[in-house]
Amino acid sequence: MGSMAFPRDARTPTSTPSAMIQELLDIADYIAKLRDAIALLRANELTRDRLPMVHEELGEVVAATASATNAIMGSAEGILALPDGPGYRAAVEAKIFAVFEACAFQDITGQRIAKVAEAMSLLEGRLARFSVAVKARDAGGVDESEVDRRKRNESLLLNGPQKGGPATPQDAIDALFD
Amino acid sequence: MALDLSMPILVVDDYQTMVRIIRNLLKQLGFEDVDEASDGTAALARLKGRKYGLVISDWNMEPMTGYELLRHVRADEGLRTTPFIMVTAESKTENVIAAKKAGVNNYIVKPFNAATLKTKIEAVCGA
Repeated sequence: MGSMAFPRDARTPTSTPSAMIQELLDIADYIAKLRDAIALLRANELTRDRLPMVHEELGEVVAATASATNAIMGSAEGILALPDGPGYRAAVEAKIFAVFEACAFQDITGQRIAKVAEAMSLLEGRLARFSVAVKARDAGGVDESEVDRRKRNESLLLNGPQKGGPATPQDAIDALFD
Repeated sequence: MALDLSMPILVVDDYQTMVRIIRNLLKQLGFEDVDEASDGTAALARLKGRKYGLVISDWNMEPMTGYELLRHVRADEGLRTTPFIMVTAESKTENVIAAKKAGVNNYIVKPFNAATLKTKIEAVCGA
């Protein structure tokens, strides 16, 4: 779907009845195309199915990683607490197999994240097409909560983890404390 | 000076898994007396009630960050000498410099290992 040209500025006076009719036809055409563009967004499907699915899948990923971490750490703590003795090796092996089992979470969470990525990609595509079709511009003004969040992050230097690992290696940090 | 393994240590992090990791590493190093708090506000409350030999704190927590906790500790007459190590994913140089200016004793970037933690504790607590 191409972009829609809006009829000329409505504030400009229309001089003749035929020009006025043409103006109204243009507006009707614009509205029809706008409705098509909105329909192609399939907003109901997004809010009813896709976005709730994203929330659910991410929730499952968080739960699965927490569960796996607990299982792995429990096994590790169990190994550290094992007494010396003839059954030591067998007990360690049992704990290690529990770690292997817990690591299976990665397969499932990988599939869940792939579903989320697919949904996000679909949403991005539809919004991009809609934006082009209606020549959308972002509204002016600011989102107050976003402004507050940015101010807090700036004042408290909350930058978060950096892509590709630490921005400053531990060795360089250590040099500052020598 | 040898490390005092009986000194109480306060671990501050909003991720229970990280608290558990640090607690286990400290246990491996011989420290048994470890308390925990999930953010700066909870940590301050604990610090007011007990004399700790060391605070190990994350930076990014709600509602009070580790950076704010550090500044509160250094501004408090009764707490200002408490050794304080920041353990965080905040790795920008500006973070390290700000923490150092605020009086942090050492700074560890996540992820880290037991050897790094041990070295820093020894450096701060005087092994």
